[in-house]
Amino acid sequence: MRVALLPTEHGGSYRFVMLALAVVGILVSALPVLVVTIMSFSATDTSGFPPSSYSLRWYGDVLQLFTSDDPSSAQSVVDSTITSLVVATIVMVISTGVCIPLAYALARGQRKVRAGMELLFTLPLVFPLVMLGIAFLLIAESLALELGIWRIAIPHVALVLPFVLRNCLSAMNGISVELEEAAISLGASPMRAIWDVVIPLMKAGILAGLIFALIISFNEFTITFFMYTIDVNTLPIWMYSRTVSSLDPSTLALSVFIIAADVLLIVLVDKLIAGKGNLF
Amino acid sequence: MSTTTLKTWQAYAFAAPAFIALLPFLVACVFILRFSLSGESTAIEGFSIRAYQDLMTPFFGRSVWLTLRLALIATIAVMFMAVPLAFLLTSLTSPLTRRLLTVTILLPMILNLLVQAYGWTLLLGPSGALNKVLQSLGLIERPLFLLFNETGVLLGLIQTSLPLAVFPIVSAVRGISREHLEAASSLGANNWRVLKDVTLPLLRPALVGAGSIVFAFNASAFAIPLLLGGRRVQMLGVAIRDMISPLFNWSGAAAAGMILILMTLLVLVTSAWLVRVTTEKTKG
Amino acid sequence: MKYTLTRRGLLKTGAGAAAALAAPSILNASGSLSGKEIRLLTWSDNTGLAILENIAKPFEEMTGARVIADRTGSTSEMVAKLRASGGRAQYDVITLAGVGAVELAGDGLLAKPDLNQLPNLAKVDPRFRTGADGHGIGYLLWTGGLIYNTKTFKEPPKSYAEMWDASYNGRLFLPPATWTDALDTIYATGKMIGGDGTNSEEAFAKLAELRSNILTFGENPAQLSELFRSDALDIGGVYAPAFFAKELANSEQSNMGATYDVEEGFFADLMYTIMPKEKPGADDAVHAFINYTLDAKVQGVMAEAVLNGPINQEAVMSEAAKASPFIVKPEQLSDKAVVHDKTFIADVREQWISKYQQTLS
Repeated sequence: MRVALLPTEHGGSYRFVMLALAVVGILVSALPVLVVTIMSFSATDTSGFPPSSYSLRWYGDVLQLFTSDDPSSAQSVVDSTITSLVVATIVMVISTGVCIPLAYALARGQRKVRAGMELLFTLPLVFPLVMLGIAFLLIAESLALELGIWRIAIPHVALVLPFVLRNCLSAMNGISVELEEAAISLGASPMRAIWDVVIPLMKAGILAGLIFALIISFNEFTITFFMYTIDVNTLPIWMYSRTVSSLDPSTLALSVFIIAADVLLIVLVDKLIAGKGNLF
Repeated sequence: MSTTTLKTWQAYAFAAPAFIALLPFLVACVFILRFSLSGESTAIEGFSIRAYQDLMTPFFGRSVWLTLRLALIATIAVMFMAVPLAFLLTSLTSPLTRRLLTVTILLPMILNLLVQAYGWTLLLGPSGALNKVLQSLGLIERPLFLLFNETGVLLGLIQTSLPLAVFPIVSAVRGISREHLEAASSLGANNWRVLKDVTLPLLRPALVGAGSIVFAFNASAFAIPLLLGGRRVQMLGVAIRDMISPLFNWSGAAAAGMILILMTLLVLVTSAWLVRVTTEKTKG
Repeated sequence: MKYTLTRRGLLKTGAGAAAALAAPSILNASGSLSGKEIRLLTWSDNTGLAILENIAKPFEEMTGARVIADRTGSTSEMVAKLRASGGRAQYDVITLAGVGAVELAGDGLLAKPDLNQLPNLAKVDPRFRTGADGHGIGYLLWTGGLIYNTKTFKEPPKSYAEMWDASYNGRLFLPPATWTDALDTIYATGKMIGGDGTNSEEAFAKLAELRSNILTFGENPAQLSELFRSDALDIGGVYAPAFFAKELANSEQSNMGATYDVEEGFFADLMYTIMPKEKPGADDAVHAFINYTLDAKVQGVMAEAVLNGPINQEAVMSEAAKASPFIVKPEQLSDKAVVHDKTFIADVREQWISKYQQTLS
């Protein structure tokens, strides 16, 4: 299969075109991050690319942000980071937990229902986030409940559902009913067959879903911007107030730090779920 | 063979938790719909379609057209990159390279958009690295304007939505059975033929799924046009934000939101329908 | 999040006690506020940052109160959030631009501060003490003029008309429609073409000529600073030097200059501190904080940090700050300064913002 999709040799024009397109895609994804990373190692405090000399001083600043009582802001970056992590974890678990059975039901259920349901669960993606943000805020305020961290987590769950469901569904598509039937004929209960046969086969999709949920929630800004309160706010909100006031290399170093944190989270989830690494 | 193995009640039971998770969002949808029909601009009070009537201006029309056009172009561009990337990802044998590539593709979702926009400015801005190089080579006299216009916005849209397309396609590619492809190539079909006649048709549901998600995501974008469009590219998302603050025309924003949603849904439903019709035809 | 609360609380009480001993004369309430919390909402840009450094922090040290700051948003975003949350305000005190205070007061969301608890107000220029029908307490003067590239302009530009010069095509910026500065730009254009500033129809026709010349709208001051540094912008306005205190002090490297000395005049807007009706914090602490923003020393330090005009007539400023052309004191507001009538602005605001968007983007 692999050889046919992207031949390693004798591919001719096909191989060339495919690789070229992939490279463009990689460049588009990576270039700004690359520039920002390089800049964060700049030794000077005014920007200019590429920097004339390099140092680690901005990373020292970031470290200080996390270890000392932040003098420039009463909102602590540590608190925001913890809130972000907690919200992202809740969102990840809930959204994936509800999407796996749904994906199964859609794949094994009636065809006609499926198209409509898929559309319904794409809706959160279609709504302009700003409008959703203010709608959630108005609803939350009119309910007058002390929701705490759920103020942010509930909208986030809705927001990531389309992504998680897509990934679970794609994985579900490739699993044929015969496998399940075989398991059942060997004496497994239907639930057992799902748990032992289907879920392991869905792993790649589930994992992709988990990671999407994690990343989207961890980095979500627009809805959170409306929903956060002075006591419950997230890292992107903290980061926003910082980037608006300055784009000095310490902000860039902080961004690199956040990227590293994300990558760490991804690897962690990958290890936890997939053991030997299934998504990658 | 039937694919239906679930009884109706079972299907509902499986879907129920997801519905509960979606419920707050559905409430918000109804709320927005109701708001768009409000007689007041910052509160729900009475019924009126004035918010919709007020939107019927050439300016708003241009904004709708711009949004659809940019979202469509970006979606096509994304699909052209996402398919090869998915092929590349699934054919890499070294786990390390595969991981690196995965993380690279995810990067645009991770980095703060303001910071990304800053990165692009350093690269593609009027005095960015690219323009400097081109000018020193004598290829151009005046700097190329790649940012703060539609080109910049397109670039940003493509970048942020690429990961959304790659991963569903990767999952689907993994599901293509080896036999299909081997049979095709043993019949002497070359790579392009295999792609056109075997791979792409097999991937069609995933491609349409990924395409719709990318289109919907791009049509409602607002941070990208704001930051990389230098505020000059008035996509609907930006217009809606401006109506929320500083114009405080919330019913207008809700109405514009409803129009955006309806249009996006129309595009999604039409594309899903087209796929169904063409698939049924090819199946004879 | 509880643990930081206590950790911070302990730190602050310690520091507060020390500071209270050191500076007992400034505030009669000193030390008595320990344990009280004030929730402050302020701008996300560098002007908000300066408030934390120069007002909130010394206030905490002096009084023992704790200031929890939310530094996210522009004035219009603050107004949107407060309106959406209706009566359930989570803030005690908010700093914002004049028009925002007028709007929130109009919605009935603001309390009237007790002027007797604000002794520093006596030293404030009488024109700038209160506003928004008694709901807003004057804070600092926001001033806007022309920002220019010191490499391109050997002499500061003398008129907004420079922005129409063809040689700056593609190297021009304007304020975003969502900012009050956009209204100033319309006003300035009106005056430039011979009207009194309210001649918006002609002004928009003139502004339309700029449509294809604009490189970007100045949504993000940090981005503008980068574009000037890399010599990609020549001129823009009406925009506030306040964002660029650091850059303007070092135009050699930043290429940035600013001027108020423009034929059509410059713009001044009084900013306010306000108190929501339903606030979580204690009345005395909030009043003490507002009073502190008007302290002669604080006003001087803030003026220097963000190039805003101090309204305390006894503001203590360094020699450099006194000489700075960017800090406009109330007595320096000659006939060159345009101070908008807030009700006029409130009337035309919505229409002008939409028209500005439609004309230029």
